[in-house]
Amino acid sequence: MNRRKFIKNAGLITAGTLAAPYILPSGRLFAATGARKVNHVVFILFAGGIRNQESVKKQYLANQGLATEGNVMPNMLSGPQPGANLVYQPWNTVLNKPLQESGTLFPEMRYKQGPTGHYNGHTVAMTGNYTETGLNLNINPEYPTVFEYYRKHSDPARSALNAWWMSEGLGPYPSLNYSRHPDYGALYGANYMRPATTIGSLGQEYLSTAKDYQPDDVSRINMLRNFLDNNFENHAGPVSGIANNDEDRERIRSFVKGLLSGSNPIEWPTPTGGTQGLTGDLINIGAAWKVMEAFQPELMVINTFNLDVCHSNFSQYINFLHRADHGVGWLWNKIQGPEGAALGLKDDTVMILMPEHGRNSDPNNVNDNNGLRAYDHTSDANSRQIFSLIAGPPGVINQKQVIGTGNVPVGESIDIIPTIAELLGFRDQIPSGMLPGRVLHEALA
Amino acid sequence: MQVSKYLFLLLIPLLFATSCKKTIVKETVYDEVIYQLDTLPVYSSNLEKNREKSDIQFISILYADLFGKAIAGNITGELSELKLSFGDKVILNQMVVSAFINDPDIKIPDNQQMRNDPEKFVTDIYRKFYLRNPTAYEKYYLVKLINEDPGLTAEHFYTAFALSNEYSFY
Repeated sequence: MNRRKFIKNAGLITAGTLAAPYILPSGRLFAATGARKVNHVVFILFAGGIRNQESVKKQYLANQGLATEGNVMPNMLSGPQPGANLVYQPWNTVLNKPLQESGTLFPEMRYKQGPTGHYNGHTVAMTGNYTETGLNLNINPEYPTVFEYYRKHSDPARSALNAWWMSEGLGPYPSLNYSRHPDYGALYGANYMRPATTIGSLGQEYLSTAKDYQPDDVSRINMLRNFLDNNFENHAGPVSGIANNDEDRERIRSFVKGLLSGSNPIEWPTPTGGTQGLTGDLINIGAAWKVMEAFQPELMVINTFNLDVCHSNFSQYINFLHRADHGVGWLWNKIQGPEGAALGLKDDTVMILMPEHGRNSDPNNVNDNNGLRAYDHTSDANSRQIFSLIAGPPGVINQKQVIGTGNVPVGESIDIIPTIAELLGFRDQIPSGMLPGRVLHEALA
Repeated sequence: MQVSKYLFLLLIPLLFATSCKKTIVKETVYDEVIYQLDTLPVYSSNLEKNREKSDIQFISILYADLFGKAIAGNITGELSELKLSFGDKVILNQMVVSAFINDPDIKIPDNQQMRNDPEKFVTDIYRKFYLRNPTAYEKYYLVKLINEDPGLTAEHFYTAFALSNEYSFY
């Protein structure tokens, strides 16, 4: 080996040695920056257990022995509403064109593994990993949530103010804002709120009289607290939940106080904007918009849940399905309207909708007041049939597309998280093997 | 032969009576300890506190410390539900504490009392919230603060103690 060749080889080896520790798990040398396709993603877990028959298949009462079919989700899906045998109160459609025309519909997705339970379905959808847990235990999930991937792997790192989990109900659902995974956890979790409680009657009872301290008072209290905390070695741990910095905490506290006092009034997603016809789902969606208005989070997950009434009341299930669709249309209208434009959300937001699971093909023994049969969800093949709708700006999301059929289903529950990661530009930074699903590239322009 | 048979029958109960006994220890855990107003120090040092209070423990003890009486069961349940509804527990605690302190029934020493005898005030507040006496340094520092800052109020102290990390542990 001559001297020139030795120096060249030595240089290459040195460069390789220096670069190797910086190669990311994805195989890239540097974190991809600016790869995000939009700056905001809203994932609506259209939950409570929805059958494809009454949603994307638009069969309405066809499975109840009546010939009437029709679309009870006119804001999301194309097609005429039922013309007869109405068991719900139709509300005027919010959107000029159904959301389906602003995006890609996957009418035959599958929830392939694990019991079709609500909490399990939520966990699968929000972690991108199937689990076998059938119990509604109030315990953080095993795998990282989408919030943790987003906050840990976005560059630069994002504060918790950018990630929100808005839940219609309590039970185990507050635990879904972060996982118990040792590499992630509360440090990367999302802010969480169940509006019906926080700003409902309990919030009014116990929080509305909270003092608004002047800045001098706040600095004195913080100064005392810092002294006390510096003299104590333990820190409040998981019980304290998600950690915001002091500045963000003050913004959030002030936001909640404004909602409670009415100084920041909430417009409800009902035809009148008032409380007539208001459901828990619509309370959640209305409050979610207030959060978007206040903080413009980059990642928000909202769920609906009232549709679970289908265990005992099919007519009310149809009614709530129609109202939840109204809420979705209302929210999209806000995002794409003048208010969303002023906040920088218009044409920079992708909305993804997916039920956590479906419901059985055969009814149970319960009939409602209209004599219609109710449906449970016990992991039969029908309860594994779900759909997804991904809507967004034309340059980002393919418009007016329908992908997949009953014979050739496309997409799984676990595919939503990789798709969100792709949209927000952090997918390549997620360690390999963490997400078994795939990006739904068919929807991306 | 007959005698040995009766002897064997007599020995059977004796065998059971003297056999190994499983020791059962019943531990009573007091989950909602309500501390009275004039609590004597329980801890000699804050190093003894290494377990975080549950939501229910925190709420019950806070209520008792501020109002001087045990919390009603329905209030515990409602506040627990409220805490569950919000992710950042620090914000919720701040709001609950400041709402409690805003309550006319709250028993906080007035500022004149605090300034008349700052050492007693500091000792009392450590005993009330932390169930221990302040260290010499803690007492010196806080008394000095009271003396030097006329804007500092007893309410500031109550709020800071209730929201401090040490108060979340036992």
